Amino acid sequence: MSGDPYSAAVRELFAAPTHAGTVADGTRVLVEDQGMRVEIAASVAQGQLSAVRFRAWGCPHLIAAAEWACRHYENGPASALDKFPTDRIMEDLAVPTEKTGRILVLEDAIRSLGRSLTSKQT
Amino acid sequence: MTERMIYLDYAASTPVDTRVLDRMREVAAINCANPSSTHAAGREAQAIIATAAGQLAGLLKVNPGTLVWTSGATESDNLAIAGGARYRAHRGKHIVSMKTEHKAVTDVFEALSKEGFDVTWVEAGGNGLVSPEVFAAALRDDTQLASIMFVNNETGVIQDVEALGTICRERDVLFHVDGAQAVGKLPIDLGALPIDLLSLTGHKFYGPKGIGALYIADRPGCHVEPILFGGGQQRRIRPGTLPTDLVAGLGMAAEVAANSIESDLEHLGRLRNLLWDGIKDIAGITLNGDPEGFPGILNVSVEDIEGESLLLALEPICVATGSACNSKSQEPSYVLRALGLSDSQAQSAIRFSVGRPTTTDEVAFAAGRYREAVARLRELAPGAAA
Repeated sequence: MSGDPYSAAVRELFAAPTHAGTVADGTRVLVEDQGMRVEIAASVAQGQLSAVRFRAWGCPHLIAAAEWACRHYENGPASALDKFPTDRIMEDLAVPTEKTGRILVLEDAIRSLGRSLTSKQT
Repeated sequence: MTERMIYLDYAASTPVDTRVLDRMREVAAINCANPSSTHAAGREAQAIIATAAGQLAGLLKVNPGTLVWTSGATESDNLAIAGGARYRAHRGKHIVSMKTEHKAVTDVFEALSKEGFDVTWVEAGGNGLVSPEVFAAALRDDTQLASIMFVNNETGVIQDVEALGTICRERDVLFHVDGAQAVGKLPIDLGALPIDLLSLTGHKFYGPKGIGALYIADRPGCHVEPILFGGGQQRRIRPGTLPTDLVAGLGMAAEVAANSIESDLEHLGRLRNLLWDGIKDIAGITLNGDPEGFPGILNVSVEDIEGESLLLALEPICVATGSACNSKSQEPSYVLRALGLSDSQAQSAIRFSVGRPTTTDEVAFAAGRYREAVARLRELAPGAAA
């Protein structure tokens, strides 16, 4: 649709997020910035992220990006949380540049989760 | 999109009535002349325009000679405010309006302030209404023009233009009314109302886009300087070749409206009540503006919901977060902020606007979809129950 502010990927991820929610007994972090709120929760088994879930208060791009990130990290190594693929998310979801700040709020949450998990292991 | 689109954004624009479309087709097919031409075809075009002026004058209960065709309400507002203020600038340079006006008004005031005009913004109460006492207190000896909109485009609030206009008459102040949301929707008798200048546009009442008009009362001291130059059309107040088919369409829209305003108002009132009854028990919901406002508009906010996500979650319902003319900015509505809403409340505001073709089934569906969307977004938010 011409003039549609949302890519097909954003529409799909926003409409049917399969990773919305939380992880019982998991590690959870909440980041609030720029009027946005993102909570990421995860559980780890043998160094692997066995479940990653999100909750978010923000625009459709933020919610879609949070779902995208959960899918991206789940079943991967917990150590991957210190690498946040900002450019890939911006490209895959066609996030407008003026909304980069909102994706950075998600990045803060993901990195914070990584640090929290690392501190629990040590 | 698999679901059928439901259009509830009639305050932004309305579909062209089939009778209007038929008239425009007919005119476009039979006449291609420039209405300024003096040959037979030109005179035929002039006659078509005269018929349309008669139809619009009938709706507003004025003399057709008081109407000037424009490209729409934005141009009419510009012509009325800038043209009126400049015409009377030798008598004083104080002008008055409200922050809850449409950008087509507030931006003209901002521009005039850069020309040396002194602007006073009158405050609205929390319900969006300006009291006559507050309005009167804002007028000064050097006030030359005041502009207040009839029906607010975001909240549907109806100002008491009769009381405000009476004050202006007593103080010899030109009184402009932006009637874009009122003309063709509310009964308006300009023969009885103390309004000097009234802006209107066709596409808000089932006419075509790209055509509007400005009413200029036929009384001493009521005049505007042109803001466009280039020809002698329309007594030099608004030069330019008139689009005969669009003018004919606006005239027909006015005739249709004149015969349907009362039944339209009853229909819209039923729909708005049905919609509000379907959502009013949602926790944290508030109705923005005056409950006694124009029944075609229902503006609501709900606590702790992000407006842009709400708008997307409401699809396939087409609604607005603010004025359609301003919706790309993604900023909280300045109109609602001026009424005292917080950024968060203003940001979650949704304007439903119903129209002549809207059905009760569509409104019931919209209420259900709104409830679902709010519940889903609350569930998605941090702090929701696990």
